[in-house]
Amino acid sequence: MSADSDKPSYVLRYFDAIGYGESIRLLLTAANVEWTEERPEWPREKPNQPFGRLPVLIEKSTDGSPEFLICESGSVERYLARTYGFLPTDLKKAALQEQIRDQLIDAIVAFTGFVRDIHDEDKNAKLKTFEEMLDKIIAIQTKNLKSNGNTGRLFGDSLSYADIATYVFFKNVAIGFVKFKADIADYLKPKLTPEIIKLISTVETDPKLAKNVLKSGNLVAAISA
Amino acid sequence: MAAANAPSYTLRYFKVIGRGEPIRLLLTAANVEWTEEHPKWPQEKSNQPFGTLPVLIEKRTDGSPDFVICESGSIERYLARIYGFLPADLKQAALQEQVRDQVTDVVTAFVGYMEAASEEDKKAKLESFDELLDRFMTVQTKHIQSNGNTGRLFGDSLSYADILTYVFYKIMGIEFAKYKPEIMDYLKPKLTPEIIKFIFTVEAEPKLAKNVLKSGNLSAVVSA
Repeated sequence: MSADSDKPSYVLRYFDAIGYGESIRLLLTAANVEWTEERPEWPREKPNQPFGRLPVLIEKSTDGSPEFLICESGSVERYLARTYGFLPTDLKKAALQEQIRDQLIDAIVAFTGFVRDIHDEDKNAKLKTFEEMLDKIIAIQTKNLKSNGNTGRLFGDSLSYADIATYVFFKNVAIGFVKFKADIADYLKPKLTPEIIKLISTVETDPKLAKNVLKSGNLVAAISA
Repeated sequence: MAAANAPSYTLRYFKVIGRGEPIRLLLTAANVEWTEEHPKWPQEKSNQPFGTLPVLIEKRTDGSPDFVICESGSIERYLARIYGFLPADLKQAALQEQVRDQVTDVVTAFVGYMEAASEEDKKAKLESFDELLDRFMTVQTKHIQSNGNTGRLFGDSLSYADILTYVFYKIMGIEFAKYKPEIMDYLKPKLTPEIIKFIFTVEAEPKLAKNVLKSGNLSAVVSA
């Protein structure tokens, strides 16, 4: 299936990591548009980015209009999700998906704080915060999945932004974070409910994502005993 | 006066500017009925959907169940879209949305300085904050200039980005300045005429008149 040539094409600038780039990669993949990735040398290329940070998304139109640049992972994700139908137009339904992503990011930020802090006291406090947030996320997601018929989808009956964001969150924890905390996958696995495991495998086997989803690792394998 | 069929809102948050003020200003500008609750903390933590504040509860007049939304960014964007402070055009909306993360970066940098333990760490964090603040205010000034230096970031009426950015300066100049007055040594020299005009314009906006000064008079602070 080749990309539709009337659609814009995209360049994603990010690091070689899951982090804050993977949801964007999966949205671009699911949108079936042409896109490439640049890996700017860092921190050398920092001053060349609009706000000195990555990711940056560049949209190139086919009609000659100027490139559109958008920064900040959340804004990039929501822009793509809305443009390509992975966030609903109904504002309440969209907000329910957006708040999930915000909550997941809060947990990622807590874990990042744990990694960066130097003093053990601060580190332990941040790790505890992360663990509490993780428990809460799993409980809420499991409830959502059950009330959506336990189909492996958080909302409706097709791949959504919230599905992608949640899959990427667990991929960050079970695969991306291992280099910072070697036992994290073993910590996570017993907490995963059958509903969450089903979400993970449903997203990872979605045909819309087949082209790229396993490039950053096999999450189903990582969480299996 | 709010329309009879319009929903009404309850905001649950703390008595600070923090992550509640943009929501307060959006509700004010939207001209809807709303009240605020200040849950006892942390006793009420487990009663919140995500264990965090703010929480927004929307009550409709037609008897349909309350709609509850959490996470300050999602609440803000929801209100901004319904009440027309974010445009329907996706590119234009994205350009405003990204402002939020930029101001958050600067706030986070200053919080890092406030939490730093060693003198070395304090110095490093302050430098990094100064750099981020400088870049932010330079970009903002250019942006205000290219929008005709009307005291607005986008278009010709109060926008979500205007509200976010105004609150950012308020956090720096009023909320943080209370604990760390030295922040003004970094903020004041960077206040260009364009940014000062921006602050005056938002603070004088009739749509915000009902509530904007309750958390302080920022125009007075930047004029001093």
